[in-house]
Amino acid sequence: MNAVVFLVPLAIALGAVFAALFIAAASHGQFDTLDDEARRVLDD
Amino acid sequence: MTAAAAKVSPACAHCGAPIERGIYCCTGCEVAADIIRGAGLDRYYAERTAPAPRPVGDTPTAWSEVPTEALDGGCRAATLRVDGLTCAACAWVTERVLQATPGVREATVSLTTGRTRVEWDPDVVDLERITARVAALGYRPRAAGALAPPDRTLLVRLGVAAFVAMNVMLLSASLYAGWFDGMDERYAALFRWTSLALATPAVLWCAEPMLTAAWAGLRVGVLHMDLPVSVGILAMYGHGVVATLRGEDAWLDSLTMLIALLLAGRVAEQGGRRRAVEAATALAGTAPRSARLEDGRSVPADTLAWGQRIVVATGEEVAADGVVVQGEGRVRMALLTGESEPAKVGEGDRVVAGAVLEEGPVVVRVEAAGEGTLVARMAAELAKAADRPAPPALTDELAPWFTAGTLGAAGVAFVAWGLAAGWPQGARIAMAVLVVACPCALALASPLATAAGLGAAARRGLLVRSGEALRALAEVEIVALDKTGTLTRGEPEVVAGDDVTVRIAAALERGSAHPVARAVLREAARRGIPLPDATAVVETIGVGVRGQVDGVSREVRRGAGPGEIEVVGVGTLKLRDTLRPDAARTVAALKARGLRVVLVSGDHAEVVEAMGRAAGVDEVVGAVGPEAKAAWVRAQPGKVMFVGDGVNDGPALAAAHVGVAMGAGAASSVLVADAVVAEEGLGPVLAGLRAAAAARDAVRANARRSVVYNVSAVGAALAGLVNPLVAAVLMPVSSGLVLWGASRVERST
Repeated sequence: MNAVVFLVPLAIALGAVFAALFIAAASHGQFDTLDDEARRVLDD
Repeated sequence: MTAAAAKVSPACAHCGAPIERGIYCCTGCEVAADIIRGAGLDRYYAERTAPAPRPVGDTPTAWSEVPTEALDGGCRAATLRVDGLTCAACAWVTERVLQATPGVREATVSLTTGRTRVEWDPDVVDLERITARVAALGYRPRAAGALAPPDRTLLVRLGVAAFVAMNVMLLSASLYAGWFDGMDERYAALFRWTSLALATPAVLWCAEPMLTAAWAGLRVGVLHMDLPVSVGILAMYGHGVVATLRGEDAWLDSLTMLIALLLAGRVAEQGGRRRAVEAATALAGTAPRSARLEDGRSVPADTLAWGQRIVVATGEEVAADGVVVQGEGRVRMALLTGESEPAKVGEGDRVVAGAVLEEGPVVVRVEAAGEGTLVARMAAELAKAADRPAPPALTDELAPWFTAGTLGAAGVAFVAWGLAAGWPQGARIAMAVLVVACPCALALASPLATAAGLGAAARRGLLVRSGEALRALAEVEIVALDKTGTLTRGEPEVVAGDDVTVRIAAALERGSAHPVARAVLREAARRGIPLPDATAVVETIGVGVRGQVDGVSREVRRGAGPGEIEVVGVGTLKLRDTLRPDAARTVAALKARGLRVVLVSGDHAEVVEAMGRAAGVDEVVGAVGPEAKAAWVRAQPGKVMFVGDGVNDGPALAAAHVGVAMGAGAASSVLVADAVVAEEGLGPVLAGLRAAAAARDAVRANARRSVVYNVSAVGAALAGLVNPLVAAVLMPVSSGLVLWGASRVERST
């Protein structure tokens, strides 16, 4: 169970990385409309 | 041609128009197809789901004057709007063609909004050539309108709040599990402190909109749902801090979930409002960015001063509001009046920015320019409306009761239980009451139903500007319809003429943008007549078109008689403004809803009566000018919805309880209206009324459900039955109920 002491903060930190990615994507307008970016992925 | 070949009429490979021979119907389509194939984008033809638009030439925008951004490395960037993108393949092909243009570094096209961002190297290419490529494909590039990017901060707040809420819920679930078998105090403490650490930014930053709104409302004495919500948030957080310090269970999972849910409601509502406003601004259009002075110099339109004289040549757009001081001609103020016929202007007549000069040149003395023009002012007004916070709704009226009730019940709980079982237990029960009494579901009731209503209306063609407008729609008792452009098409239609005449006239009129030309081309398409080539075509404004068809010299004379055009030596075509195909049906449906339908028009009484009878309206009011229309609206005993399309409907639209503008009509009407009909026809008006009624019913039902939930939950809390786990489960259940209620709006529309 000692692992928990180490894992909880690690999990939060990992989640924070993804949260930061989300913030970056939103600030760059990736979520301005819900369809355009999705379509773009299918284009190539 | 054999009988078999005659059955299947060949069509243009690019735009699909019927043709007699060859692959393309015109050079424009051929050029567009060449560009597409040249860039290796043949996939476009396989993947498109709608025919391509026919390239008809760019509306003159002085692209050299449009302001552009300077980027690092010497490149320039600009944001434009591109009209005519009908399917995903259109957006794709435009993007790729732009990216393949030498000198263009990056290009992004949004199918949903038409917004296009381009970055380029000014040494290799300029904006003029870039937009020419877009126009050559058949799409219509324009300078971008006034709308700023959406409020991304709100979305980011929601993202962070959701992240926090989910993690805190996980930690809390672990703590709840610990109740059954016991948990080592060290781990429990770790979970509690981590939860507090996560919840703190959620309260201090994510919840900021709710807290500031509650404080602002409190200061001016306006109480809305944000107040009891903020009380709940602050109380839960305060208790959370104290409880964590003392090593006890806190309510942080309910707290973070509450914040996330409320933000989700706000994002949904903002999204719905934005979409409607964005689409309405797109319909309204923008004025040109440059003007020419008498000495030949070109200057940006916003720098024009009162009294300056500008020259407008044939085919150009007028750059500013003003008075004609020299020359005469014909002006198409379709942008302003919704009229299809160009109006004669001479010395002393007013013109507005955005009007197209069909015949000129004229010299105009500037009265208002740039931001001061009619069109610009109204566009700014509309853009502001997009981000204004929603005004108080039905649910907000319950707010003071909720705040008082919540605090009162918590106080009673504290005292009663404190005396009976000790103050710590009293505090615990009081907190339970406060948490379950928190009107999360009630706060969501209105935004969710409004967002659902706006979405349902928009999907059926009515763009409603705001939640207020939606509520007003549900209160309408009388529907007043304008005639030209609203009940009728607003454009002439060919009602009589033989196929031979139609064929020749259409062949000659193919390159013209005149409304008569459009009518003739539509008739040819409707009759399935393939068009021959016409050569040496010369259009004389005000007279007609001349050219060679099948080797013979032909002439089309417009205005041979009222509502007639003549192909000399062949025949005549009669044109009339006709009733929209769905007009009678829509009027009947409106009457079936219990609404009184009235036709109000400035046209001659007999014409209006005839149209009114054909459509089946309850009452006809003819020969009224704009001010009289507005006066009539005000004089009505019930709430009026006015549907119109021209600038002379402006006062009536503003005077009505709900003003609805036809999207294809005048820009100024579109900009002042509460709702805009985005599709052809009157059906959207009916759909909008149904959506508004469904939303209003959903808000009421949701409010009832929320109150029932809150009262029962507070009862349970007072009885000591509620602990943090129970509360954490109740909140999403109640919010889920409200969400389900809002989802019914789409189905009941």
